[in-house]
Amino acid sequence: MDWIAGAWAVVAHDARLELRTRVALSGLGLFVAASLMLVRVAVQGAPSVPVASALLWIVVVFAAAVGLGRAFIAEEERGTSLLLQLHLRPSQVFAGKLAFNVALMACVVAFAAAGFRVLVPIPLGAPGVLVAALVLGATGIAGATTLLSALVARARAAGPLLPVLAFPLLVPILYPAVSLTEQASGAAEGAWAAAGDDLMLLASYAGLLISASFLLFDYVWRD
Amino acid sequence: MTSDLALPRYGLVYRLFGVVVAVWITVVLVLAILGPVSNLPILEHTARNLYFHVPMWFVLYAGAVVGAWHAGRYLATDRAVHDIRSEAAWMISTLAGVVALLTGVIWSRFTWYQGTGLWWSPEPRQNMVAIQLLISGAYFVLRGSLDRPRQRARLSAVYALFATASLPFLTYVLPRRQASLHPGAEGNPAFSEMDIAADMRWIFYASAVGFLMLGWWLYTQRVRARVAERRAEHLGTSAPLPAPVVS
Repeated sequence: MDWIAGAWAVVAHDARLELRTRVALSGLGLFVAASLMLVRVAVQGAPSVPVASALLWIVVVFAAAVGLGRAFIAEEERGTSLLLQLHLRPSQVFAGKLAFNVALMACVVAFAAAGFRVLVPIPLGAPGVLVAALVLGATGIAGATTLLSALVARARAAGPLLPVLAFPLLVPILYPAVSLTEQASGAAEGAWAAAGDDLMLLASYAGLLISASFLLFDYVWRD
Repeated sequence: MTSDLALPRYGLVYRLFGVVVAVWITVVLVLAILGPVSNLPILEHTARNLYFHVPMWFVLYAGAVVGAWHAGRYLATDRAVHDIRSEAAWMISTLAGVVALLTGVIWSRFTWYQGTGLWWSPEPRQNMVAIQLLISGAYFVLRGSLDRPRQRARLSAVYALFATASLPFLTYVLPRRQASLHPGAEGNPAFSEMDIAADMRWIFYASAVGFLMLGWWLYTQRVRARVAERRAEHLGTSAPLPAPVVS
């Protein structure tokens, strides 16, 4: 119980700071909106389903690289890492930051997908498959990026480093997520059966990264 | 911190091993170029590339596994020598990855994709080894952006282990979901030819062993050079080192 209370305190603290300033949310929202407008202007005419699915996930991945680095860099900037280290166990800090990042990514994918529906309309036969892909994809991206952002917060030139470290590791998420998005635009019947493999792949990779992160976070956190 | 950097004292053994590797690789090269070949349509004499392309894959994997092992050992023990070993293994793995990518690109360009003019063919393993190289690149960029030696060692070990966790997905799960020229997918042209020309099998085994030995020899040389470098830095700055402990 103490463990959950501690982790929850990290989430609540981050959420309160975020709601006070709304830096991350408004920044990310505008980032997604601007990328969507770039896509809308650059893609003339109606794009094919594979192209539109790929563009959606590329926008999401770039938004993650821009937005998720804040979690630990902000602690370093405010000089509050030490206080967290004193009061909480590393696994609590990581769980809290991960939960906050998953929530942030959920907002990003929801906003990006809704924007895509409006700006780049492609057929949507099986909305449930798309929602499953978005939820698992957001979890996986947050899981891969949270540990790396803790790592990057300790380095010089933190800005461009996070995408360099994260993008290659996001490939096993990107591939099934794009193929699920394509399947979601097909017919409704049989969509879940066809999507099974890709959903398993997404879930297993996200689970793998999150368990590895819990094991490795200790070594990043203690200095 | 440097007290655990034992100066390896196996000079003669390393030199003999280097000679063995050089002779072995020379014999393999001669046999690979002059030996019998299956001469299948499309492949023809490019089948000889099998001896150079496939062992690179083994070296890449062996390097990644050794690198991950020593990264884990570093986190468990804090001994600087494990950081040096991990970095050297990643270097060898990267080198093998570059050669595997180049031999693969050239091979497919002049066989299956002859006439299409495509250098970057739609081959999933090719994309995945390129992504593996990006991961290696990220590892070395991360090392470069951390100043304090212990922090660099610890954080790069964390990234090495995190990236290794994704290696099975990149190299085994994803490529098998797409059509491929490689073993594991249907078609599998490169290995069926060994059933046709049985001698190719023995040259292939010899070359796999030879390139693994070459990779190991390069790895030990790099480790020795790095250890000597660290000791030299240490000698220049502070108190004399304790007597070397060979472990």
